[in-house]
Amino acid sequence: MKTLKNFILAIAAWAVMSVSALATDVIVVSHGQANDPFWSVAKNGVDAACKDQGISCKYTAPGTFDMVEMAKLIDNAVSQKPKGIVITLPDAAALGKSVKAAIAAGIPVVSMNSGSDDFQSLGISAHVGQTEFEAGVGGGMKMKAAGGKKALCVNHEVGNVALDRRCAGFKKGFGGSVDILGTSNDPTEIQSAVAAKLGGGYDTILTLGAGLSGEAALKALEAAGKVGKVKLGTFDMSPGMLKAAAAGKVEFLIDQQQYLQGYLPIVIFSQYMKWGVMPAGVVMTGPGFVTPDNASAVIKWAAQGYR
Amino acid sequence: MSDVLVEFNNISKFFGSVIALKDVTMKVKKGEIMCLLGDNGAGKSTLIKTLSGVHKPDEGEIIVEGKKTEFDSPRDALDMGIATVYQDLALVSLMSVTRNFFMGREPKKGFGPFKTFDIQKANKIAAERMGQIGIDVRDPSQAVGTMSGGERQCLAISRAIYFGAKVLILDEPTSALGVHQASVVLKYIVKAASQGLGVILITHNVHHAYPVGNSFTILNRGKSLGTYPKKDLSREKLLGMMAGGEELDKLEVELKEMDRISSN
Amino acid sequence: MSLKEQSIKGKIQDERLRKVSKLKVLLNRPELGALGGSILVFIFFGIIAGDTGMFSAYGTINFLEVSANLGIIAIGAAMLMIGGEFDLSVGSMIGFAGICIAIPAIYWGWPLWMAILFAFSMAVLVGYLNGILVVRTGLPSFIVTLAMLFILRGATLALTRLITGRTQVPGLRVLIENDPIAWIFSADAFKSLFVWMGNLGLIALRTDGTPLATGIPASVLWWIGLTVFATWILMKTSYGNWIFGAGGDKNGARNVGVPVNRVKTSLFIGTAVCATIYACVQVLDAGSADTMRGNLKELEAIVAAVVGGCLLTGGYGSAIGAAFGALIFGTVSMGIYYTEVDTDWFKVFLGVMMLIAVIFNNFIRKRVTENK
Repeated sequence: MKTLKNFILAIAAWAVMSVSALATDVIVVSHGQANDPFWSVAKNGVDAACKDQGISCKYTAPGTFDMVEMAKLIDNAVSQKPKGIVITLPDAAALGKSVKAAIAAGIPVVSMNSGSDDFQSLGISAHVGQTEFEAGVGGGMKMKAAGGKKALCVNHEVGNVALDRRCAGFKKGFGGSVDILGTSNDPTEIQSAVAAKLGGGYDTILTLGAGLSGEAALKALEAAGKVGKVKLGTFDMSPGMLKAAAAGKVEFLIDQQQYLQGYLPIVIFSQYMKWGVMPAGVVMTGPGFVTPDNASAVIKWAAQGYR
Repeated sequence: MSDVLVEFNNISKFFGSVIALKDVTMKVKKGEIMCLLGDNGAGKSTLIKTLSGVHKPDEGEIIVEGKKTEFDSPRDALDMGIATVYQDLALVSLMSVTRNFFMGREPKKGFGPFKTFDIQKANKIAAERMGQIGIDVRDPSQAVGTMSGGERQCLAISRAIYFGAKVLILDEPTSALGVHQASVVLKYIVKAASQGLGVILITHNVHHAYPVGNSFTILNRGKSLGTYPKKDLSREKLLGMMAGGEELDKLEVELKEMDRISSN
Repeated sequence: MSLKEQSIKGKIQDERLRKVSKLKVLLNRPELGALGGSILVFIFFGIIAGDTGMFSAYGTINFLEVSANLGIIAIGAAMLMIGGEFDLSVGSMIGFAGICIAIPAIYWGWPLWMAILFAFSMAVLVGYLNGILVVRTGLPSFIVTLAMLFILRGATLALTRLITGRTQVPGLRVLIENDPIAWIFSADAFKSLFVWMGNLGLIALRTDGTPLATGIPASVLWWIGLTVFATWILMKTSYGNWIFGAGGDKNGARNVGVPVNRVKTSLFIGTAVCATIYACVQVLDAGSADTMRGNLKELEAIVAAVVGGCLLTGGYGSAIGAAFGALIFGTVSMGIYYTEVDTDWFKVFLGVMMLIAVIFNNFIRKRVTENK
């Protein structure tokens, strides 16, 4: 029994020494787990900004995509009285109560990545991210500048508001004729659906997901020998599409640059802490375009966790 | 009013093509200790299960206090006053003496849906009854697991008696006990019988059975070799009948023969 | 020795023992491990996170809420475990119950109280089904409820998508205000006490002067209430004795007349009802139901019960212990965010805690059954 007691005391002492908590300046509550390749880039942005700005930050996320747990994490953050809280807002209804409590407690909140429609009604000061419609517009304009006249927008989940908006924005930016091709999320089906459309005189294809529909559309173009003749662009990034861009087969990838979604809110708060300044509205981190010109650099940085 | 508490006449039990019991007849009187003896495999456990209501006999009849009866379940037998104490005792070693004693038949106090288990009363009764056997249960809320094997046997028997058993069927009560513990249990059995209960004591240990038994039924390969009152039977004769005396004799002859050959 | 002398000697012995035995009795209780663990956890976090806001009113309510939610299903799991069985379908029942509340209320226009009652009646049905499957087939409850875990979760997903086309049903928050029953699961208690404390400056305030922590959440009261109720059942009623008997020796209990099948079936209904209480609290708090809610929660409930002193083999345990087990769980899972420790270590802590708890419980059990 005595050795057990001593053992426990030793562990406690070690724990106290290695773990003592200091007050954190900014707490980030995100729905993205740090082991997710997309979100680890965002977390790297948070960590880099904290170091550059000389403030202390913490990145937290629930173990799984669980809005109830995330709301509890926001409450948890509020009780620590940080100078600011950064959140993602994938579900304003479920998180609203906790966000409002944070603001009512006098802690400013900035949102990133998701929730560009809802952040203002909750009293959130600013949003950092890529809005889908505007990103689509950017993509459309770029394809127009490349000479596209007749486009196909491949939507693998019609009814998903974010995806629908991407195609709608693209249509606005493109100017020419845009047809929407609704598919399932099965890559083989997407490939055959695109292949079937290739006889319709399309010179431009935009897909809304890189790994899923982008690579499937690329396969369809390769099989029909139409790579280069039909311009292919996609939202988001995947290793396969990055390689294809580096090889000149893809016009562009639309990068929402989640590194900035992690980095910028921290800078916003550090300046707010100093001078009380706060941007108004949405700070757009995208669309960033990965083209054959910069693709190889992006591939290098993606391997390091910055893109 | 006859003294006979229960009679089992010409009981047979078959499991498919296997004849587990054939024509077994037995009866127990008030205050009598009837020992049911037989080697392993003789059919003792099938017989107990039939007597206690787990199995229904395929042939024969059961007569309780003069009335012909059938047991549909062990509960039926229990309700008619035939209590069986199995080898595993049906005691939960993690639970207290009191909780075990009153399991299923807890005394209650209070009224309506708020009736509670009257633990104080139960503790008192349990301690009292155990004291009557001579077992000093210092704290009736102590776990049964803290008691010795003999004490647990006595607890199980005491429980059966408290809840109105008229006939006690005890399945190998002393088999797992040391000499001292066995004698404590046997003494209690004698006391119970002297208070008017009928006891059927099942065992394969003649040295435990002989001192306390009033009559002996021997079971061999599913058949009864007869029931004998003590005065008609010596301990050796009993042993002989049980172990299949002629087989032992034959073995003795063969061993002598092997000895003779090897020493030549 | 005469009988009188014997009984006097007995009394004296008892009196002498009484002084020692009260402490000994405490040390032998199944709750000891969980109580000790809770104290250790609080000391630990008190030292390393004492001034981070973890023990402010708002912070305390934060981890108490997590503990309370787990505690509600841990009570059900503990009673079932004492009765000798497991229910792995609790997590799926949470998701299913949530949908049973949300879909009728939002899509079929039922009043919220009716949807809540509907969810509870489904719970009774599912629990009853679990129960009779286990007692009739004689299969291990582990297997039967594992099958039910898949059946319920699949049904939840399929039916929700069929009726709504999506996996979430939002929009419940507005329905709570005027509903006669919903407040039982969602309201804060002792609100005026917190306002008073805020006015005295004892707890943090919002910018408008109202206290940040608004009151004791309903889930905490449910947790405490269920623990008290379960403890009363186990310790003070014959039904409780039957639960111990059914778990300790099913056949032996049956042989002395305990209706083991009925007891076990009622315990399965108990776990399903606890899962539904959890779902009510969660759905009304989040304002929405989601088909994946409650995933894997049954394992956490079992861990809390085991930490609380319940033997996996049945026949021994405590509801109070399970409540403390849930407290440890909730405190650590939220407390870890007040430190610099990576939250992935939480899983390691959980496993280590379980091991220590089981070893300790084994030690206690040996002492209970072998010591005098």
